[in-house]
Amino acid sequence: MIELQKLTKSFGPIKAVDGLDLKVSRGATVGFLGPNGAGKTTTIKILTHLIGATDGRALLNGVDVVSDPKAALAHVGAVVETPEFYPYLTPLETLAYLGRVRGMHHEDIVRRSDEVLHQVKMEQWRTTRIGKFSKGMKQRLAIGQALLHEPDILIFDEPTSGLDPRGMVEVREIIKQLKKEHYTIFMSSHLLGEVQETCDRAALIDHGKLLVYDDIENLGKLTKVSKLEIVGSSPIGDPLAEGISRMPSVVRVDRANGQTLVVTYEGSVESRGDLLRAIQALGVNVVSFSPVGLPLEMMYMDLVKESR
Amino acid sequence: MIMVSEELKAQHKVPSDLEQLPVIWRYELLRYLRSWRLYASVVIVVVVMALLYLLPPLIGEGYSGTDTETSLWVTPTGGPPDSPVPVYAVGMINRSQIDTGSLVLYRDGAEYASAGGTVWFLTEVEYGSATVYTIMFLEDVTDSEIAATYDWYISPESFETLFLNFASFLIIICATFFGADAIVGEFQNRTGYLIFPNPMRRSVLFAGKFMASVTAGLMVVVFFYAVLAGLSLVSARGLDDDLLLSFLYAVEFLLAAMAVAYLVSSLLKGTTGATVLTFFLFIMILPILDSVSMFSGVKLEGSVTFSAGAMIYVLTDPYPGDEVQDYGACRMTMFYPDPALAHVVMLGYAVVATALGIWLFNRKQLAG
Repeated sequence: MIELQKLTKSFGPIKAVDGLDLKVSRGATVGFLGPNGAGKTTTIKILTHLIGATDGRALLNGVDVVSDPKAALAHVGAVVETPEFYPYLTPLETLAYLGRVRGMHHEDIVRRSDEVLHQVKMEQWRTTRIGKFSKGMKQRLAIGQALLHEPDILIFDEPTSGLDPRGMVEVREIIKQLKKEHYTIFMSSHLLGEVQETCDRAALIDHGKLLVYDDIENLGKLTKVSKLEIVGSSPIGDPLAEGISRMPSVVRVDRANGQTLVVTYEGSVESRGDLLRAIQALGVNVVSFSPVGLPLEMMYMDLVKESR
Repeated sequence: MIMVSEELKAQHKVPSDLEQLPVIWRYELLRYLRSWRLYASVVIVVVVMALLYLLPPLIGEGYSGTDTETSLWVTPTGGPPDSPVPVYAVGMINRSQIDTGSLVLYRDGAEYASAGGTVWFLTEVEYGSATVYTIMFLEDVTDSEIAATYDWYISPESFETLFLNFASFLIIICATFFGADAIVGEFQNRTGYLIFPNPMRRSVLFAGKFMASVTAGLMVVVFFYAVLAGLSLVSARGLDDDLLLSFLYAVEFLLAAMAVAYLVSSLLKGTTGATVLTFFLFIMILPILDSVSMFSGVKLEGSVTFSAGAMIYVLTDPYPGDEVQDYGACRMTMFYPDPALAHVVMLGYAVVATALGIWLFNRKQLAG
């Protein structure tokens, strides 16, 4: 379990994290969202003992990582940014080093090294020195080392950063698999789709403060703004588009092509029926009327805009 | 597929600090064993020792040879003293070590036998701090021309001192190569992102890395002393009695220099700055302070580079004392480190710099 209690981190006059309270319960997969400079990485760095906190507590399995990092990190696996590895070691040697530091027995290290290298598709490089590895290979290995000792808690900071699209999909599959196995996962990401796809819950922060923390499906409902794609059976003329834009609750209308408009709409899901009827009343023969974009993305944009 | 095994988790209890220490030491040492730095240090030792060994003979200052019919300066003693062994005159041989069995004297060009020690005999006489081979003549030879032929070789003390002047430079190279970027590199090279989020105290990581750096440095220093001992056995036919003590001083200086290198590494933000500062601190800044003390007449017993001089002076018998030398209006004092205090100063630097380094490392944040 992860618990942040009034966590604060200041860099001079700037408060990167400002009294942050957050609880990630055992077995949950939580996405940690926020724009650049919101305090996501700072929070994760405090949790992984890379930096200290100015105030508050960061508990991992009930142990404060600031005051007792050794005990707190005992059952934690972490990937923060894209770590660099010791170039003179091979993946097997690196895993052996970290495994021994974490208290694993030799046989367990050997077995688990094989398993995690297979899982992150790095078996063929197991005895090659890491010095010449690409960023993507290092990111895979970073995920592998985090899983090595089968920790209770996994902390990932941008876990798919630096990976090609195939690698991103593979890492997401790994996270989804870990989620099924009831690991407690706390991951930051810029990719809202990734969070929506892999996490049960998401926390959104900005200016170091928690804006919202809820189940993914509830978060999508929080936003009043949605985008609707409207396709007519024939081209929708400019006068008709202008008529739609003047309708109540319509924020803006963008033209995708002659027959398709994208309407930004501020209203509940239930009120969309009224909008459809109003458009049809204007004389548009609507053949398709569907929301576009992710609910989470809408929520994100909505809440971040409000907080700024 | 990964399965969370409670049994496995129960088995891998986080090791104690003392159990983690050798693990860190082992993998950090690999860094040096697989790097060019260790081999470069060994190459430097080989090249410098080869130069020091080969150059003197090439410029006519060999380590051994034969002086053939070399005139002896014979000094009368003023007549046979009132003693059981009446010595009429003495003659001194101007070499620190000779093969006594090879000594042949000539009197006015003819071989001059000792007649079983009844005409002359060879002995070693102490003149101040030096021991000189001296021939005691039991008959008056002051009117004769005395010459001698003998095989000579350099003394272990002189031979080893020649090389030991390089030892402190070698240790500074080791501290720079193996210590200067050890801590700051974790931050600049981003390997800290891998190693810090582990259940391990930073002080243990610091200590493990420090031990590995000292081990790498020690390998080079041991290699240097081993080669020196070998060359001394060949060229000076023995080892100075105090060579082991000199090695002990060298190890202490290595500890002190490495601790200061780690302190610099914990303090600075870039590997280049830490490397340059460590090197110039020992090679230029501290030696300048030491030389200023010669002119100011103030003995800087607390200087680590001054104390490191003990590794050379300890070979000199007897250990040299401070000397004041007047050059007209200029007065210089040749200071020599107190041999007992030198241990304290170097170990003190090692302890204080290590403690400060750990304190700084604990406070250092991977915020970039």
